[in-house]
Amino acid sequence: MPVPILKQGDCLIASVQSALSDADLLELRDDLSDRVGRFRSKGVIIDVTVLDVLDSFASRTLRTIAEMVRLRGAETVIVGIQPDVAFAMVQLGLTLDGVTTVLDLEEGLAHLERSRRSQAAGARG
Amino acid sequence: MPVVDACVPIREDSDVVAARSAGRSVAEHGGFGGSDITMIATAISELARNILKYAREGEIVVEGVQQNGRAGVSVIARDEGPGIADVGLAMQDGYSSGNSLGLGLPGTRRLMDEFEIVSAPGHGTTVTAIKWLRQ
Amino acid sequence: MAVTRPRMREEGLADAIGLGTDELAMRKRFLEFDDDDVHRLEGMYDLTREYVDSVIEAFYDHLLSFQETAAFFRDPRVLEYVKARQKQYFIRLTQGDYEQEYVEDRLKLGSIHEQIGLPVRSFLGMYAFYLRQIAARLLDEYADRPEQAFAAFHSLTKLLFFDIGLAVDTYIYQRERTIANQQEAIRELSTPVLRLRERLLVLPIIGILDTSRAQKLTEDLLASIRESRARVVILDVTGVPAVDSAVANHLLQAVEASRLMGAKVIVTGLSSNVAQALVTLGVDLTKMNAVGDLQGGIEVADRIMGYRVVADGDEIPEVVDARPDSQAG
Repeated sequence: MPVPILKQGDCLIASVQSALSDADLLELRDDLSDRVGRFRSKGVIIDVTVLDVLDSFASRTLRTIAEMVRLRGAETVIVGIQPDVAFAMVQLGLTLDGVTTVLDLEEGLAHLERSRRSQAAGARG
Repeated sequence: MPVVDACVPIREDSDVVAARSAGRSVAEHGGFGGSDITMIATAISELARNILKYAREGEIVVEGVQQNGRAGVSVIARDEGPGIADVGLAMQDGYSSGNSLGLGLPGTRRLMDEFEIVSAPGHGTTVTAIKWLRQ
Repeated sequence: MAVTRPRMREEGLADAIGLGTDELAMRKRFLEFDDDDVHRLEGMYDLTREYVDSVIEAFYDHLLSFQETAAFFRDPRVLEYVKARQKQYFIRLTQGDYEQEYVEDRLKLGSIHEQIGLPVRSFLGMYAFYLRQIAARLLDEYADRPEQAFAAFHSLTKLLFFDIGLAVDTYIYQRERTIANQQEAIRELSTPVLRLRERLLVLPIIGILDTSRAQKLTEDLLASIRESRARVVILDVTGVPAVDSAVANHLLQAVEASRLMGAKVIVTGLSSNVAQALVTLGVDLTKMNAVGDLQGGIEVADRIMGYRVVADGDEIPEVVDARPDSQAG
């Protein structure tokens, strides 16, 4: 089942609705990559609040997505990792190093907003 | 309906999700708390994925167990695949790995309380892992 | 902290402490305590019967004359009870048959005194008192045969040293049990999660951080992060007695898991010696954002969260809007 992706300004928000199979994850990767390019988005939020398991494949794919999105000039933020899931991930040795992770959607949007502003300030020099 | 034990054949992608789900159900029935359930489900996910990746097919059996008055959940992941040539090597890890190499077995072991792996080239692989209810 | 002292079961102290027949026989050999000694002691039986009351009375008068030891015998029932036991003990010294039953009895006696809290030095001081009392009476009794007096005294000394060994064993055993109970109690203390400011949590960790406690702590921490929407967490380990690489790894896991939930973790209370040792052991402290003390940690946390603390009466600094897009272009 594909993950619904909403466009909000120059952000894309992908809200995971249910347990993701490997194929679903790969589809998400391709979808996001495609849309970031098409809409010239500046930020991508992947909301995994609903996910009860984040295993090594999911973790790898999320990092791949972040990498691909970055190559297209946008930033990825993972939001909503639940306490139990965070704990299991760490036991498994999955750290999502290099990927921004924040508490929830609200924080995710705030983060992207801050990034956008500091980028704009940088551009103005 | 609460599941007391389950046997999930692993042949395709969506079976990994089914195995996790079954594991979750058995663990809930066994009285495990949230974070332990997640650990069991995550371990099952890793083991099921290994089966798909290296053996193409196999099965995951999850069942409630009892020993010395303690309750637990046992996960058996079996396949008739190529087997692991060097089990010792497969069980080693740099402590915080999580990169794409390897079978994720050391991490999986950390998620569970007991862990045993029997594998040899040409003889398939059976991983047995048990998590006990915390006192 | 109140900790109930363990009630000692009356049976099987020797077993509990691990004093088997071989061990006891070895100790006697070591003291060169043999059958001749046993006979000499038995020969003193009548003498001890005659003097037991005055020796015991003198002994407790002695104890009660010192404030420090008198304190343990304020309760008259306790005093009567121990006096009676001491009488038995005294008489028993010269009744022969210094085997399993004798040993068990000695262990019990030591145990009783440990439980009322009598310091071991006071308990051992009793033996010195006996020897002085008995020496005097022996010299009287064997005035015409001083070598016999000396031999009898010698045998008694050996037996008393044997008893002292047993008393020390009991004290050590009981103390270790108390320590084990206290450690268990400490281990079970759950770490409070304190909300210092909105979205800033402090966890003061006290006591031994073993795997199961670390797990519970991390779970509570992560749940709190979600509940308080915490952005910064301070883990203070000042109260953790031994931070080795195992503990450090537990902390690292808590830090990593918190990061996944978007919270920065600051670890405070690691002395520079400990930090150095951990780095040498290969622990990656950079992930831990370690600060020496709690105060420093709170200051760092405030900076991260964009707070500034201003004392009452101080001039409030002009708030410079730090957001880039509000600066004049």
